[in-house]
Amino acid sequence: MFERGKKTTSDEAERAAGSDAGSTSGRPANRRSGTREAAVIGASIQIDGDVRGEEDLIIQGEVSGKISLLNNSLTVGRDGKVKADVHAQAVFVDGHVDGDLIGSERVCIRSTAQVRGNITSPRVSLEDGARFKGSIEMDPEAVEALMGKRPAPARSAGSSPKPVVAKSGNGNDSGKSRDLLSEAKTGAAG
Amino acid sequence: MNQALGRQPDGSASMDGNLLNAPLFHSLIQRMEDGERHVVLDLGPPQAGTVALLSQYRCRLDIADLAANLNEIDQELEGRDLRSNIDRLLPVKRSERVDLVLCWDLLNYLSRPAIRELMTCIAERSKKGTLIHALVVYAERQMPVIPDRYVPVDDHSLRPVTLSQEMRPAPRYSPEDLSQCMPAYQLDRAMLLRNGMQEFLFRL
Repeated sequence: MFERGKKTTSDEAERAAGSDAGSTSGRPANRRSGTREAAVIGASIQIDGDVRGEEDLIIQGEVSGKISLLNNSLTVGRDGKVKADVHAQAVFVDGHVDGDLIGSERVCIRSTAQVRGNITSPRVSLEDGARFKGSIEMDPEAVEALMGKRPAPARSAGSSPKPVVAKSGNGNDSGKSRDLLSEAKTGAAG
Repeated sequence: MNQALGRQPDGSASMDGNLLNAPLFHSLIQRMEDGERHVVLDLGPPQAGTVALLSQYRCRLDIADLAANLNEIDQELEGRDLRSNIDRLLPVKRSERVDLVLCWDLLNYLSRPAIRELMTCIAERSKKGTLIHALVVYAERQMPVIPDRYVPVDDHSLRPVTLSQEMRPAPRYSPEDLSQCMPAYQLDRAMLLRNGMQEFLFRL
């Protein structure tokens, strides 16, 4: 099914997937120094069914079903077509995806990508030029909850601030939802 | 943060326009620093700058990219057809409702009935008190044939990116026009920006 004979290194895989050289978004997340092989589903291959594995995967063909690579990365190449929900450590998309994407480390939507679905990941990047329709969950607490790492956050109660934003001293500890508008009235720079 | 890169029709990248101080947008982003969770609906296309900016906050970002489907919204459709098209193009209704909507240079390309239906559909997906941040052509009589993009940059300014040099007449909706099209919303503030766009803040 997979093109074992075409096993490729991560560098080759990225080139095959059409990523830009030097792109900061193009590295499979768990790549170590040196080379790392990835399996390739070639351009002429069509798979209807679930795909699971313990190695990085590059899709240049078509896959419909469900893809689960919990400890590895998935790259959808420029000509790749995926109609599936994906759960992987890192997901890189250059081609077409119709389905939800969960990346436990990151999801990167590159400029040639066309994605329709919802993205859940602690790190999401999207390059200009990409086509995307759907939702991007960026709340770390919600991401962890969706990945089953912690209970779902309370929606309306005051929650602990996201650490990286804790730059102002206006923490709201009232536990009540805030009205953006009434505060915008007084907060606008005029 | 990312530079303001737009795509020309031929696929090339373009960068134009100067940074635009948008005080109402700035104030909204400042409010997001409260640490609360927000749900943002961006009616425009996906942009690296918007994703990068909002990734600093606790939020879910829904991207509708209505500009890619303008022909389905603003044909001579009426009533049910128009409504069903808009419903299909917007994100599905969820239990967690939207509380901030970004509507940059989109209303200029919609008829009054389309604006009315769009805002009704958005209200059904939104919390009471939801804010709509809109940029509408006000001073200029002409506008590009396809919507400009507005890219948030580091200081919460916006960088306009023009995708077409071909022009068409601008509807120049007044605050009164928009209020009539959006009866469920109250106009809270409006500011004229340096590029002739009016920055509006409506509240559901």
